[in-house]
Amino acid sequence: MKPCISVFVLALCALFVGCNGDGGTDTPNPGDPPVQGSDSSAEKVLHLAMRTAGPQSLDPIRGTSVYDNRACNPVYETLLQYSYLKRPLQLEPLLLSEMPTSEDGLTYHFKLKKGVHFHDDECFEDGKGRELVASDVIYSWKRMADESNNPNGWWLFENTYVGFDEYRKAQNDAAKFDYDATVDGFKIINDHEFQVTLKEKVQRFLWTLAMFQLSVVPHEAVDMYGERFGRHPVGTGPYTLKEGDWQPGTSLLYHKNPNYHECYYPEEHMPEDVDAGLTKPAGTKLPIVDKIEVTMFEQDQPMWLQFNAKKLDFIEVPAEYFEQAFNKRSRKITSEFRQKGYTAQPVPLLDFIFIGFNMEDPLLGGYSEKNTKLRQAICLALDWEERNDTFYNNINIIYDGMIPPGLDGHPKDGEAKTSFRGPDVTRAKQLLAEAGYPNGEGLPEIHYYVGQGGNSQEQSEMLRRHLSQIGVELNVHLVPFPTLMEDVDNKKAPMFAFAWGSDYPDAENNLQLFYGPNGSPGSNHFNYKNAEFDKMYEQIRTMPRSDERTKILEQMRDLVLADAPYAGSMARTRFYLVSPRLKNAKITEVFDNWWKYLDVEE
Amino acid sequence: MWAYLFRRLAYNMPVYLGVILLVMAALRVNDPVYAYLGKNVTEEQIEARRESMGLKEPFLAQYAVMVKQIATLDFDTMSWRQQGTTVGELMSKAIWPSLALTVPALILTSVISICVSIIAAFFRGRTIDRSLVVIAVLGMSISFLVYIIVGQYFGAYLLNEKLNTEIFAIHGYKSGILNWPRYCLLPVLISVIVAMGYDTRFYRAVMVEESNRDYITTAKAKGASRQKIMFVHMLKNAMIPIVTRISITLPFLIVGSILLEVYFGIPGMGQALISAVTNQDFPVVQAFTAVFAGLYILTNLMTDVMYALLDPRVRLS
Amino acid sequence: MIKRWWNSRTARKFRQNRLAVVALFVISIYIALAFVLMLGGFISLETSDQRIGSQVLPGFLGTVLPQKRLDNALDFIDDVDRALNNRDPEQALGELTIGFRSVAKLPQPELRKLVDQGFEKYDHLAPILDELADSSQVTTGQLSDETATELTELEGIVDQLWPPPTGWQATKEGLALVFGTDRQGRSISMRAVYSVKVAIQVGVVTAFISVLIGSVLGTAAAFFGGVVDHVVTWLYTTFASIPNLVLLVLLAHMFTESQFENTLVPVYVAFCLTFWIGPCRVIRGETLKLKELEYIQAATAIGFSRPYIMVKHIIPNAAHLMLINFSLLFIGAIKSEVILSFLGLGVKRGPSWGIMIKQSGQEVVNGFFWQIGTATGFMFVLVLAFNILSDALQDVFDPKHV
Repeated sequence: MKPCISVFVLALCALFVGCNGDGGTDTPNPGDPPVQGSDSSAEKVLHLAMRTAGPQSLDPIRGTSVYDNRACNPVYETLLQYSYLKRPLQLEPLLLSEMPTSEDGLTYHFKLKKGVHFHDDECFEDGKGRELVASDVIYSWKRMADESNNPNGWWLFENTYVGFDEYRKAQNDAAKFDYDATVDGFKIINDHEFQVTLKEKVQRFLWTLAMFQLSVVPHEAVDMYGERFGRHPVGTGPYTLKEGDWQPGTSLLYHKNPNYHECYYPEEHMPEDVDAGLTKPAGTKLPIVDKIEVTMFEQDQPMWLQFNAKKLDFIEVPAEYFEQAFNKRSRKITSEFRQKGYTAQPVPLLDFIFIGFNMEDPLLGGYSEKNTKLRQAICLALDWEERNDTFYNNINIIYDGMIPPGLDGHPKDGEAKTSFRGPDVTRAKQLLAEAGYPNGEGLPEIHYYVGQGGNSQEQSEMLRRHLSQIGVELNVHLVPFPTLMEDVDNKKAPMFAFAWGSDYPDAENNLQLFYGPNGSPGSNHFNYKNAEFDKMYEQIRTMPRSDERTKILEQMRDLVLADAPYAGSMARTRFYLVSPRLKNAKITEVFDNWWKYLDVEE
Repeated sequence: MWAYLFRRLAYNMPVYLGVILLVMAALRVNDPVYAYLGKNVTEEQIEARRESMGLKEPFLAQYAVMVKQIATLDFDTMSWRQQGTTVGELMSKAIWPSLALTVPALILTSVISICVSIIAAFFRGRTIDRSLVVIAVLGMSISFLVYIIVGQYFGAYLLNEKLNTEIFAIHGYKSGILNWPRYCLLPVLISVIVAMGYDTRFYRAVMVEESNRDYITTAKAKGASRQKIMFVHMLKNAMIPIVTRISITLPFLIVGSILLEVYFGIPGMGQALISAVTNQDFPVVQAFTAVFAGLYILTNLMTDVMYALLDPRVRLS
Repeated sequence: MIKRWWNSRTARKFRQNRLAVVALFVISIYIALAFVLMLGGFISLETSDQRIGSQVLPGFLGTVLPQKRLDNALDFIDDVDRALNNRDPEQALGELTIGFRSVAKLPQPELRKLVDQGFEKYDHLAPILDELADSSQVTTGQLSDETATELTELEGIVDQLWPPPTGWQATKEGLALVFGTDRQGRSISMRAVYSVKVAIQVGVVTAFISVLIGSVLGTAAAFFGGVVDHVVTWLYTTFASIPNLVLLVLLAHMFTESQFENTLVPVYVAFCLTFWIGPCRVIRGETLKLKELEYIQAATAIGFSRPYIMVKHIIPNAAHLMLINFSLLFIGAIKSEVILSFLGLGVKRGPSWGIMIKQSGQEVVNGFFWQIGTATGFMFVLVLAFNILSDALQDVFDPKHV
């Protein structure tokens, strides 16, 4: 019996070690009941969910996904931010003491807010956070130019600032990237003032200043932590994240930054906010809650059950469970949830979901009448309403064009004249015949690329069915997302499913997807080329918002629609459920730095 | 014995090198660069990134680097997906939750199924044997995924709801022995139910064979009690196949519970490895498989040594 | 010969195990079903993809909630309305079919009248039912008589627009709806039955090839020894050293983008390369044992050629192991397919039980068990039968096997 016993003893030891030896760190667990222990009674903890494996890195210049954005936002800050309660969206200063001013629209003058300190961290002398100065801003921007940092957002700077593109090229070619070398367009006046000169009056410039990729970071932290900076973020934000508080794929734990600069809950609001109780906390010092715990969920079921068990403060209702919480027809919250005190918030996204064609493909691409008609026929065969109804509970918005609802250039009622939106099988068949493929005869199967995961397999089954009605045979390639990117970037995919979330609320961001010089691997994955369109795009790029501009936007939209380089479009709406203990929530997905305004009731 | 061990290890070197070669080659069928790019990239950026990820080197050079890293036990390569973390850190973080889940599952499954199989073997052919086997087979015939989906809903959510307290957590993990039942017991039970069928059938066959041996007849003739025959004589002699079985399962247990980890939010090795494969995080996949393969080879070796300890007739040669 | 086999000891022993005979019968039904489907084309890939009726209908034992009935009626009326508004209504109406039903052959004005009546009824009922759903905690089937009749009337209009099929077609529709429909309104029963074919294909092909590879390599290694043995041992240890699931996922990933992507080939390859290890090891061990037996030694001494001995003596004596391994791997393949599908790497085109389970996982919390239940049920019976069969085979051929 001896050996037998020793096996079990060994195994038992492993069990004990397994339970205790977690490297000494006490793993935070957002699954805990909100109130626990005696010392935490005064502590306010926010419990949030992230329906993914979480961010890749907390280094803002590496950020790409919306999850990177969300995870970075509590820690870092940008020069500008969106006003929390104002709609339509509007920028306001965050790290600045006033909005940047300019006389000629080319040179902008910035005044930094005084008394803004970085988080306390070992990287600073005696561990105290240093005050933010103008050179920090310039340094943070220059990091994006340094290829050795593997940055992911250079396009935000490209072709915008005087001398910056040249600086980037020269420094990357040099033996060592010199952060001290000057850029003609950046001029530091004193510790709290600096000037920026643009090449042209680029309209998106101000919007980009509110994007998290342009957050301000201290060079001390980057120098000290190097590659680990993405794990050990140091910024000026309302919350701090210690190393070890990010359990990859599991959870994030933020602590209130005790030295956060003077920031208050906004006074400015919309009329409807009064009833929602969003105006009461006006003037409260930010941030409000002491801790934010974010749990990552790889599956919908555990997230939904966890929310139902009151372990999360708000979630986006997964489509599959929508009808438990809402009446599908009236989109009102069901009595079951209403009686428990939950409230609902529909959140429309600035979203452009489409099925693109590669215009350089010999079969589907091209501008000849034959090929254009084929594309139009495919567009007409697709039933977006059914897709919306089956997979999104009819809560998404189907529209024509690439400009999402709420922005200048979005067609009235979502319908544009030149659109080929389906379903109109009869007309689709007719166009297909005119293209030389009556009932699909003589048409080879069409290769369609779509990222796997979620219900994309089911969705592409529906697509196949729609197209089979007119005799078009679809060959679906369900590929991992990186492979999809690869195929699209290399112009290998003739037809592909894609989505574009607007980076800022201006149609220009979506119209650049059709701008000729942006062809793959740039963001014009359609490889759409239209000289007339390109000319108009260059025009609106530097044009301030006006009726005239809106008119051009509409022309551009209709121009693209007639050529049908894509089939679409759809903008998602997300329905959020908010638990009774959460206060001050005005949920949006256009910007993500609003966790600091939230409050919870004990 | 040391000579034997040394020889066996040397014999396994080509196997180990083969594993790494195979995994590295299989991974490189797909191009990972595109997984790590942002919006609006240019050709130069793609090339620069490929260069910085070390993918421009010829395959054999990459292989040599990997082999050298393993030989020097260097796990300081940075993960691509979990930026700023080394593969070593990822591994040391993920191993404990994995063990907390799999080791109790293995012990419970083994103990229960050995007991059940002894009973079944002793009453071979009778109703009790038949019904035990049928139950085991029934349990095996349903998909693991169904057990998890249904188990989480009924076992965690509805049970808590009905009793109005939290018995099993729906999702999450916390270290510490006191937290264990809350976070790990339900997943452990689910995996016990699934694994029990296989084990019971296997052990029953072992026990049946043992029960036909002469020494059992002798023991019976000598008037030894039933319990003693069952749990002392038979068990002792069945140790070799039992140890083999357990040691074969051991290395795979760690990744075997990926579905449980995903649904119950346990940050273990399975989840880490699968997400590395889907995100094309080569350094992590390579390091993890290298470690698993090493473990596998070592446990095989240990099993052989264990044989010699358990059975004096077996010699290490 | 067959008669001799039928009367042999093993066959008699097998027949005594009634359960095993039943299991074998069940398996043959499944296989027959797979063949009929493949040859007869009764349920093709296309038909299993088609909409058959309303979305998420429960099966024969479930009741549809009034709310849902209303929505379903609207869906049907909407489709006709859309066709009537088409530029070419005549053709659009002709092309409109849902499952076994098509639009009634009525003149357009009459259809228009029915549609308008339907909309009117719907508009009247919707707020009443919404109210009802909102006031009572659960949406029960309890309606006032008046509302109930009105709802029935609305459904009557739908039936006028879409006349229910008769005769053989009606039976077919009944069978298609027997386990309800999924989110896209596709028939769960048709998809589950079509998946039988997929499962049998995956099971038979992978189990057969794995056992074949394993047996050939295993016997060769043991029989010839020397370099061959070393190479084979090296090969299977290498494959065995990589965790099973990782190997599966890696192999399945390798096929994305290839021309085989939408076929079952990636699944076959992934399974075969993972599964051949087991039989190879077992059969190598068995051959080693057989080789030492006196009669084989004698045969060698007499001077029979090695291939002759192998074919004549070794393979027949290891055949039972191949059979047992086959049935075990068959189960393994069917069950692993679910996991692979869950990870999005399994069958890419058309339904399979794995895909059905994956797609219906979310519905469990909603209290809709039809899809997951049907897929699990179909799989359960087949896997159970194979389990029983492999047990019986083990008992018959190799009672002492460990």
